[in-house]
This record gives sequence, C-alpha cells and structure tokens, in this order.
Amino acid sequence: MRNFIKWITSAKVNKVLCIITFMFVPLALLTVFTYIPFGKMVGFSFYDMKYIGDKEFVGMQNYAEVFSRDDCFKALKLSLYYIVASFVQLGLALYFATLLSFKTKVGGLFKGLMFFPYLVCGIAVGFIFKFFYTRGFVLDTVLQWCGFNLDNLPYWLKDTSINNISVAATSVWRYMGQNMVLFIGAIMSVDAEMYEAAAIDGAGGWQKFRYIIFPSISTIIVLNLILAITGSLSVFEPPYVITGGNFGTGTYFVIMDRLAHSSQKVGLASAMAIVLLIIILIATLLQKLFFRYFIGEGDQEAIRAVRKRKKREALAAAGNGGVQS
Amino acid sequence: MRKNVKRLLALTLTGAMTLSLAGCGSKDEGGGDSKKDDEEFSLTMDQIKLGEDYTDVKADLKFLTHKTDVIDTTFKEYISEFQKLYPNINIEYEGITDYSNDITTRLSTGDWGDICMIPTTVDKDELGTYFVKLGDQSKLGETYVSDWLNNFTYQGTVYGVPSMVNAQGIVYNKKVFEEAGVTEVPKTPEDFLAALKKIKDNKKATPLYTNFAADWTMNAWDAYLSASTGDADFMNSGLTKGKEPFTDRGDGTGPFAVYNILYEAVKQGLTEEDPTTTDWEGSKPMINKGEIGCMVLGSWAFVQMRDAGDNGDDIAYMPFPISVNGKQYASVGPDYCYGINTNSSKDQKIAAMCYVKWLVEESGFAGGEGGLSVVQGDALPDALASFGDVELLVDNPAPEGEENLFNDINNDSELGINVSGVIPKAVLEAATQKSATMEDLSKEWNEKWTTAQQNNGVE
Repeated sequence: MRNFIKWITSAKVNKVLCIITFMFVPLALLTVFTYIPFGKMVGFSFYDMKYIGDKEFVGMQNYAEVFSRDDCFKALKLSLYYIVASFVQLGLALYFATLLSFKTKVGGLFKGLMFFPYLVCGIAVGFIFKFFYTRGFVLDTVLQWCGFNLDNLPYWLKDTSINNISVAATSVWRYMGQNMVLFIGAIMSVDAEMYEAAAIDGAGGWQKFRYIIFPSISTIIVLNLILAITGSLSVFEPPYVITGGNFGTGTYFVIMDRLAHSSQKVGLASAMAIVLLIIILIATLLQKLFFRYFIGEGDQEAIRAVRKRKKREALAAAGNGGVQS
Repeated sequence: MRKNVKRLLALTLTGAMTLSLAGCGSKDEGGGDSKKDDEEFSLTMDQIKLGEDYTDVKADLKFLTHKTDVIDTTFKEYISEFQKLYPNINIEYEGITDYSNDITTRLSTGDWGDICMIPTTVDKDELGTYFVKLGDQSKLGETYVSDWLNNFTYQGTVYGVPSMVNAQGIVYNKKVFEEAGVTEVPKTPEDFLAALKKIKDNKKATPLYTNFAADWTMNAWDAYLSASTGDADFMNSGLTKGKEPFTDRGDGTGPFAVYNILYEAVKQGLTEEDPTTTDWEGSKPMINKGEIGCMVLGSWAFVQMRDAGDNGDDIAYMPFPISVNGKQYASVGPDYCYGINTNSSKDQKIAAMCYVKWLVEESGFAGGEGGLSVVQGDALPDALASFGDVELLVDNPAPEGEENLFNDINNDSELGINVSGVIPKAVLEAATQKSATMEDLSKEWNEKWTTAQQNNGVE
C-alpha cells in the first residue's frame, strides 16, 4: 500500500496522471462529438442507406458514383470563386491591418467596426444579404445614388454570370475583419526599433511593409491562406441560405446536403464528404510544400533561397578557385 | 495531503463523466425494453369513447409539431379544452421550424417524444417499428373517410391519422382577375396563361407569384400530377410503372402539362421579376391587397391569405386549370398525420391516443386551417365552396408488395417529387435563363426516372 502511494505520488507518475486528468475532458468531448461521428460516417459511406430503414453493404460503389456523377465535381469548380474571393479578402485584411497598426485616429473604432461582421452568425449574414441583394433594395438604392440606372443593374442573385460573385462577396465581408485582427496581432509583435532604423535609412511606407512587416508575419499569412483556401472548398452557409443553391450556386456541400436530405442517399453523401476531405488534405499538403519552397516556414529558410545561396556560394568558390590556380 | 484530495476530486469528476456518458447509452436500452410491452398494447382509436374511457390516466406527453405559429395560442386552448375531459394528462408542444428535415433524424433516435406528425420519409413497412397501431383501416373507416387513411396504412393497419386533408388548387385574388377582364375561371392551360397575360397587361399585379426563394413552396407543383390525369391510380401505378411518364401527351393533360404551365408563365414574364429574392411572409398581404394575381398552393393557404389583410373577401380558390375530357379534378390528400411513438410507456400511449382522437374529432383543427376534416360528414371548408362540379380525387393505395416503390424510385431518381420540388425548380431556372426547353427537361426526367425504375425492378 505504502509502495502504491509512493509510486502514485512520485513525480514521474504524477506528471502522467496530471496530463491524463486534464486532457480527459477535451479528449472525451473530441471523441464523442468528432471522432465517433466521423467513424460512423466512414462506415455509412460503404452502405446504400437512408436515415431510417435497412442498409445494404455496397463496398466502394458510392465512391465510384461520386467520381462518375457530373454534378459533384462541377460543383467543386465553384470553389474557384471563393478562392479568388479569399485572396481579395486577405489582401484587404493585410492592407487595413498595416494601416491600423500604425497610429491612426480612432483606430480602435475602425478595428471594432471591421471585426463586427465576424461576430454575426452565418445564417443571419445570409438573411441580411438576401435583402441586401433584393431588386430595388439596399445595394440597388446605393448604386442609384451613385448614378446607376436600375434598368442597367443586374439581378444580383438571378444572373448566373454574377450571382456566384455576389454570394462569395458575403464571405469576404464576414471574414475580412477576423483576418485583419490576426494580422494586426502579428504586426504588433514586430520590434518598433526596426521601423526607426528603417526610417533613418530612408525607407518609405511600402518598403517598410515589403522588407520588415511582410517577412515578419509571413507565417501567419500562410496560415490564413491555407485556412481560406480549404474553407473555400467546403463553402456551405452562404449559398445554402442566400440562394438555396439554385441558379447555379450549389457548391459541393449544398449538393451533398440535397442528396442526403432530399433524396435520402446518405451513403453517397457520406462518400462525397470523405472524398472532399481527401481533396482538402491534398490541397493543404500542396500548399505547405509550395510555401516551404518559396517563403520558408517559421525560422526555416525557404528551400528556394537556400538553393540559390548554395549555388551562389558554389559559383563563388569555383570562381575563387579559378583565380588561385 | 491536500494535493491528494484534489487529485481524488479530479479522478471522481472524470469518473462521473464516464458514468454519465455510459448513462446515455443505457437509456437507449431502456427504450428497447418498453418496446417489449408494446406487444401487449392492443388498444385502438375506435375503442376509445372520448370523455368516458381512461379519464383517470396520468401521463406527460411531448408533441412534436410543424405548426410553430400556433403553439402559444390555438394549441394552448386545445390543451385546456382537452384537460376538461382528461385532467391528469399534460401535453407539452415542441415546435420544429425545419420540420420535414429534422424530424427524420429525430425519429431515428427513438427518443423523440410521444406524438409527432409522421414525415413522408418513413417507408410503409417501417411504420410499425416507429409508430403505434391506431386501428384497422376497415374499423376506422366506419367513422373516418377510409380513403384518406391510405397514406400511412400498411397491410390494413393504420399508423397515422390525418390532422386535416388538403385539396389542391390555386389560391387567387378574385378582384384582380375580374379587373383584368377575366370573368370565367380558366379551365385549361391555354385559358389560364391567357388570363395571366391579361393581368400582366393590366399592370397592377404580378399575375403568378411562385415564392421560389422559400423553396418548399415550389413543392406544391408536384401535388397536381394525379389531378392532371384524372386517374386515381396514377401516383402509385401510372407514374411508378408507366413508361416515360413525363412525355408531352399533346392534349394538355399529364405531368408535362402541369410543369409546362409554370414554364410558359415564367418564360412569358408572367411571374415575379426576381424569383431568388421572393418573400413568403410578405406574399400573403400582397395577394390580399391585390398585388398578386394567384399562387399555386394547397387549400390550406386559402385561410392564411384571406386573414393576411383587410380584403379577405377577394381571396378565392380555384381548381387547377387542367381538364381531362372536359372534366376538372382536384386531388385531395392528407396533410401531416398524427403518429404515436412505440417506445412510449403504456399510459403515455393511451393518453396520446385519447388526445389524437380528440384532435381529429373534436378540436376543429382541420376547419380552422382551411382543410377538410377526415371525419365522415363534417362540412366542407370555405375554400372549396366554389369547386362545384369538380371531382375530388383521392390517390388509390399502392398494390400490396409495392408500398415502397414510389418512394424508392423517387429517391433513386433524385427528382424529389412531393419531397423537394426538384422538377418545378429546374423548370423555373430553365425558363428564366432560357437554357433548356420543356422537351429537353422532360427528356432528362424521363431518363432519370427510367433508370430508377430499372434499378428498382420495374420493367
């Protein structure tokens, strides 16, 4: 008994116990609400099943169908709109973050105002924009003030040439502020003396941004970019709420929802979800490799830069050798 | 020592967590147990005499409903009325906004309450696993209209009784039609489109408002298929086994004609300008005020449109403008049906059955909502007063062994007939963008439908 108490109070065991007890709650929640449902979904994807009733094991047939249907991957093309939108969003966020991290009048107010949309729930954002885009409502009125004629304006959600842009714009509006706040946080961590030193050397605003801010926060930019692109592949709320996925705005997730809920093809929809997961994993991996090569990660230098330097050194060494001989 | 206490506390807490998680699991098994005593439960609705039998039953009931708008008003009154007869039965309503989607998921858990409105997604042979037998169709058919019990009857056993029965026609503003010079109610697609054209030329109202953005409203178009053929067997045999049922019949009847009305109306600009931003709640006062000519919705909509403003007298209801051999039909079909959970306790089942019987026979719910009552001999609602020589058409049940056939083909084809309105939505989109003709569309539906038929063993 004494041995047991001694064993259990010993520093090493103690540490492990501590870790286990503290990790238990989050791990239990994670398991119950993420891993078990996910495992179930993987199981579903091998069955021909509805929500209720018998299910029948069909092996890989659902996966084969995902690849042979023309609507699944056509829907994935819509992600391009959202990827472009996410570049715009990050660009704007970076711009405002740089402006607001220097002394600006009422900067706090601007930060608050721009961050606010992120706090509104996605469904509410959808309803707001449904009215925003309604013929003759907010957007049309504002544009008419600017001198546009209502007859020349498109139907923002009906015109297939523009409705995907309209819908993607709502997610720019919503997430720009959040990106901006993250960027401001990163910029704050840059040593102020560097700006002074740069100023003494005669650097302008753009040069400060290009040579001080950008390299210092490249990690967080890359992170946001990866999140934005993977998010673009799995867009659901804006098209679901604003257009219901009609008029060619049905993204991959909206199609999946339709199959699962309207046509009761739960197995097929599960398979779609897993295919998308794999696509996202591949996309993330490619992006990571890309950034590691061109920009570098954390303290690590970019592979391209390392290669260039080595090449230069090798050349220089060869050159020196030539002189010596 | 204090450290030890803390550690112990932490361990106890985590232990409690695990136990409570395990508790979730064992509750399900409890549900399974009460299923066993279901075999002894043999009470049916026809055996109950309201106000005389079981007045001392004590039970708390949970009622899942799609009627979120009247939970705090009409349903409260129902409960207090009902409790005059059954003082010990408490009923709690839970409203679900996205009912048709959520209820299926809820049902699959087994632990959802005691009474619900049965969703159409439950296959007939599954009814017994989720719902209590309410009676035999032959017995219940003595007091209720037997045909209207078909929807949730499997092999002669009734599992769901309709809360009300809808007739399918078109709700319209009489004044708008008359002011535009339409004096006679149109009876054919051509006359109907001509009437809409006149309203458009009169320039005061949107002739036909589709409510496209609300989504579920588009579903209504699927409800006219059997009336468009005048054949009570169409849904469960003509459509499921017929060859290429969406082909143009050329005589202004059949599914093609139904959807073609929508197609032509949209193409000729007789519907709202921007279907993507329509507003369901806003459309009610609009038709009441005369800003909308008509809407294609079941008879339940009549009451809502009439009560949405001061011009209730202008609102009227007409049969769908398709005539088969000079005769017009209106399909009549049950709205949501009441079903009782098989996993409830015996007392709860008895109490629930009393309440359902009371709702169907005494509450006046159907009349108040503008529907027909399932009870034989109850009066026709105001909406249908003008239907005159229109024949009410009730779908015949599917032949034995083919009860699931329609659902199976429908799901497989992804056309979502009466479920998600895929066809009418596609029609509207194609007509708006002029991206496909009705011939293209019907060919596509035929292909999907035929493939699904083959997958489900229909030659």
